[in-house]
Amino acid sequence: MAVILQSRRRKIIFAAGAVLLLAILLGLNADQASEWFEQNDPVLRQALVTGILIGGVFALVAMGLTLIFGVLDIINFAHGALMTVGMYITFVLFDNYGIDPYISILITVPALFLIGVVVQRVIIRPASNAPPHNLLLLTLGLALLLQNAMLVIFSGTPRSIRLDYGRGETPIGPFIIDFPLHLFGTTITLNKLIAFIMAMVLAAGLYILLQKTDLGKAIRASAQDKEGAALVGVDIQRIGLITFGIGVACVGAAASLVLPFFFVDPVAGNTFNITAFVIVVLGGLGSIPGALLGAFIVGITQEMGVVFMPSSTKLLGVFIVFILVLLFRPQGLMGKKE
Amino acid sequence: MSKLRELSSDYYWLLAVTAVFAVVSLFLDQFQISLAILILFWALLGAAWNILGGYAGQFSFGHAAYYGIGAYTSVVLLINFEVSPWVGMAAGAALAGLFALLIGYLSFRYGLKGAYFALATFAFAEMLRLIASELELINTSVGIHVPLIGGDSWLRLQFEDTPSNFFFAILILFVVVMLVSIWVARHKVGYYFQAIREDEDAAAALGVDPLGYKLAAIVISGALTALGGSFFVQHFGYVNPELVFGVAISIEILLRPIVGGIGTIWGPLIGAIVLTPLAEFTRDFVRNPPPFLEIIEGRAGVDVMIFGVILIAIIIFMPDGIVGAAVRLRERFLS
Amino acid sequence: MNRISKILFAAAILALLLAACAPAAEPTEEPAAPPPAAEPDEPMEDILIGGIHPLTGGLAADGINMDRAIQMAIDEINAAGGVLGGAQLVYLSSDSTGAADVGQTEAERLISEGAQALICCFQSAVTSNVAAISEREGVPLVIDVAVMDSILDQGHTFTFRLQPNATSMGINGANYLKDIAEAAGDSVESVVILFEGTTGFGDSVRAAFAAEAANLGIEVLDEISFEPFAVTDLTTEMTRINALEPDVLVVTGYYNDGLLAARNAEEVGLDVKAVYGLAQGTYDQPQFVTDAGDLAQCFFDSNFHWDAGNPDALAVREAYASEFGEPMRTGAVFSYQSVYLIADAIERAGSSDPGAIRDALADSDYSEYLLPYTGNIQFDETGENINARPVLMQVQDGEVLQVWPTDLAEASPIYPCVSWGD
Repeated sequence: MAVILQSRRRKIIFAAGAVLLLAILLGLNADQASEWFEQNDPVLRQALVTGILIGGVFALVAMGLTLIFGVLDIINFAHGALMTVGMYITFVLFDNYGIDPYISILITVPALFLIGVVVQRVIIRPASNAPPHNLLLLTLGLALLLQNAMLVIFSGTPRSIRLDYGRGETPIGPFIIDFPLHLFGTTITLNKLIAFIMAMVLAAGLYILLQKTDLGKAIRASAQDKEGAALVGVDIQRIGLITFGIGVACVGAAASLVLPFFFVDPVAGNTFNITAFVIVVLGGLGSIPGALLGAFIVGITQEMGVVFMPSSTKLLGVFIVFILVLLFRPQGLMGKKE
Repeated sequence: MSKLRELSSDYYWLLAVTAVFAVVSLFLDQFQISLAILILFWALLGAAWNILGGYAGQFSFGHAAYYGIGAYTSVVLLINFEVSPWVGMAAGAALAGLFALLIGYLSFRYGLKGAYFALATFAFAEMLRLIASELELINTSVGIHVPLIGGDSWLRLQFEDTPSNFFFAILILFVVVMLVSIWVARHKVGYYFQAIREDEDAAAALGVDPLGYKLAAIVISGALTALGGSFFVQHFGYVNPELVFGVAISIEILLRPIVGGIGTIWGPLIGAIVLTPLAEFTRDFVRNPPPFLEIIEGRAGVDVMIFGVILIAIIIFMPDGIVGAAVRLRERFLS
Repeated sequence: MNRISKILFAAAILALLLAACAPAAEPTEEPAAPPPAAEPDEPMEDILIGGIHPLTGGLAADGINMDRAIQMAIDEINAAGGVLGGAQLVYLSSDSTGAADVGQTEAERLISEGAQALICCFQSAVTSNVAAISEREGVPLVIDVAVMDSILDQGHTFTFRLQPNATSMGINGANYLKDIAEAAGDSVESVVILFEGTTGFGDSVRAAFAAEAANLGIEVLDEISFEPFAVTDLTTEMTRINALEPDVLVVTGYYNDGLLAARNAEEVGLDVKAVYGLAQGTYDQPQFVTDAGDLAQCFFDSNFHWDAGNPDALAVREAYASEFGEPMRTGAVFSYQSVYLIADAIERAGSSDPGAIRDALADSDYSEYLLPYTGNIQFDETGENINARPVLMQVQDGEVLQVWPTDLAEASPIYPCVSWGD
């Protein structure tokens, strides 16, 4: 098996063979297959839709994480805890001042950016030349600190918010649309739709920032070759601060987008933390498009678990796919081959 | 010649440490003994992890997989076949070693390195956890209790009358794991591990088969970790997938060797001696704070905050772990 | 090993020795000898009651709540003159952090500090082990909250559970469901169970319910598992449930996932006669009504609860709310009750010796219970509360009301009932 899988051509032959086999099996069981499909069709469609919608938010979180890794070589274990901070900020703004969470993004993003810069400067940079496992423990310590600080400040009671629009008839510009949408038998809520759209907009914004601006070029140069970048005049330290800030700001945006359909308690960000790590590695460490692709794969796979393996918890499918992908491409889907 | 002297020295130190622990334990009360058990327990697991993560340089984020296999194997054998946990431990170690071989082969053969390898090991551990949660054979997520027979029994590794015997049991296991650790560190095998850690390609060029030695490292590491899992079941009396396959275990396992000094023989033990009482200390500090800090008394979460800060400080000021810091201190003293 | 490591080592061992000998937290050489019952006009020895709950970690909300309730109960008893004619109760609080090994060492610590009774632990895994420790050390343990049957199947004689166990939850839950359907002149022929499948409590309750449902002629169409604390959305699950067309959706899990389930069920427009919580941590909480608003209407929950028809229970909750500024959750009521139960046992025992307390607890016939049980608090030989039972609640017009069994009902159950759809 191992020898066969080594060469690229053989991999393709192998994959084609697997698909052919699947098609034959399906064909032979056409009746049962179509009956099953009919029964499960709406669930399949919902799994696809939810997977994409949630995947969008995961993408935002994962892109921040992979950006940080690409430039700073840090696996930021505190990513989820920082998201929780963003969620609490969003909650407090809504609960005390009535600020809509989609508006409070304008506050959480710069706030989390600043927090990110401070964390990088004060906590991470002093240990910057340390091996990666040290940085892992460092960010783990930070996560513990943040989580329990929030426990002390807000107590452990979960909080959630309810928007007074988005259910039933909702005016969107000149149209009146009834939410949740029920397209082709699926259910799409306004809050998840907005989260998805805004996550994609921010992702596009991040892409433009990285590709088209001088800052972006400096960041990419730093990620590719730190010494080379320093030689051509890039201020590595400053770029490091800014990159960490941006990475955390992504998570701040995700926090505001997520709160309307989720909840916040001191450990609320943990779910996103682990999933983000899986996505980032799946997509290839340091690759932004990889994180995007990985996020959708994970999101859809997760939801498909409900269709195909309902008695198992959803994540099982994700881990299986994760391992399979890594075996095929050990550097992740779009990671750099060493 | 000097190698022989160093070799002997480590074994003598192990003897000394064991003797000290054994003697001191006679003067401890039940609570202090349970702390001592915890220290040796996590030191054992850390030392096992260290063989793969420290010496061979392959950072595993999923050691809970082997821990859980050890735990479940011994308890299932005990419940269904009345097999002594000592035998169950050996069986668990064998099974965990096999699983490690599988994970290792899949990972190393397909070129998984660094964070990719780490996350892959995590994924394997999580898969085991989730599968175990729905496996009727091992009672799903409800878990399994160790049947208590009353009284003390070394054969069944149960000590209801004299729980301090658990301390001696873990001491024995700790010595076993440390013997393997020292042997690995001081023999050719260990040097090859380190060579592979430093530069895999160079090692290969010199005739050291990276795959073979990495597999050896993961199998040894996994098998030893399983011993800890089996001990846990007997000491704790109950097991469920969350308790033994959870990511919290994987993190706890690697915490102490890194803090103590990754890739050193005594790092895991030193890390355990520092961190375990530290956690207890921060809890106690918040229960009875000094007068000027009264405001934190009894506030849930403050103790873990303090622990987090201390952890961060240790990492920042002692990047080579406590052992490394001590070495640097000595060098500064001498120069 | 090089010299510095050796020196370091010696230092570490020395430190360990010092720590062992230092009076860390008033350690004693052996489990505390019980203070002798003193003459009435002598100052009496304090009686130490230990508590182990998750004060940090994902379950901190409940853990802290329960911890505070114990302190409140102890303060009340002390203010009223203490026990045994003047002995004060002292609360030794501890944090299991939600981790098994920490719970274990905390139990050991409390006992070595002289705790004469323990109250714990909220999580079945932690409780399981503390029960073994208290058995070995001869210190009685009152379980305020922990549902798994197997904890008391180990032959322990020092452990007593206040709440109904998993079998009770499952069997009663299934029967209540059938009863209310019949009382409404309707039926329940099929259910789908949505349960948390990784921490153990979901599986244990689900299994008991499914078995009883089979006996009652209710078909379980599917059992869908999710991982609490790791689930971000249940819409796909709801779509699947809808496709199965059950009469009732049975849900068991924790607060957060229950809230998600409720919201997603509404969004999908789940076509069921009712959503029925089974030992569910959401639908019997006033916070659910606050968080979900109109959506909360109709949700059932067959769960352990305080007796809403008991004015003393209501008064206690009022007192808690005004002292701590947050509502008293169900678990906390049980913790509070545990303290009074222990105090009662101490009085009847006439001594604070742990063994005597244990014997008194075993003979409990406590009548001032705040819980909706069929009789006084009495324990069988395994330590289960004989008269414990869950109570079925439903959210009606913004209030969580007890609706079944009829002797506890504040209102009639409304079935079928969902808060969405036409």
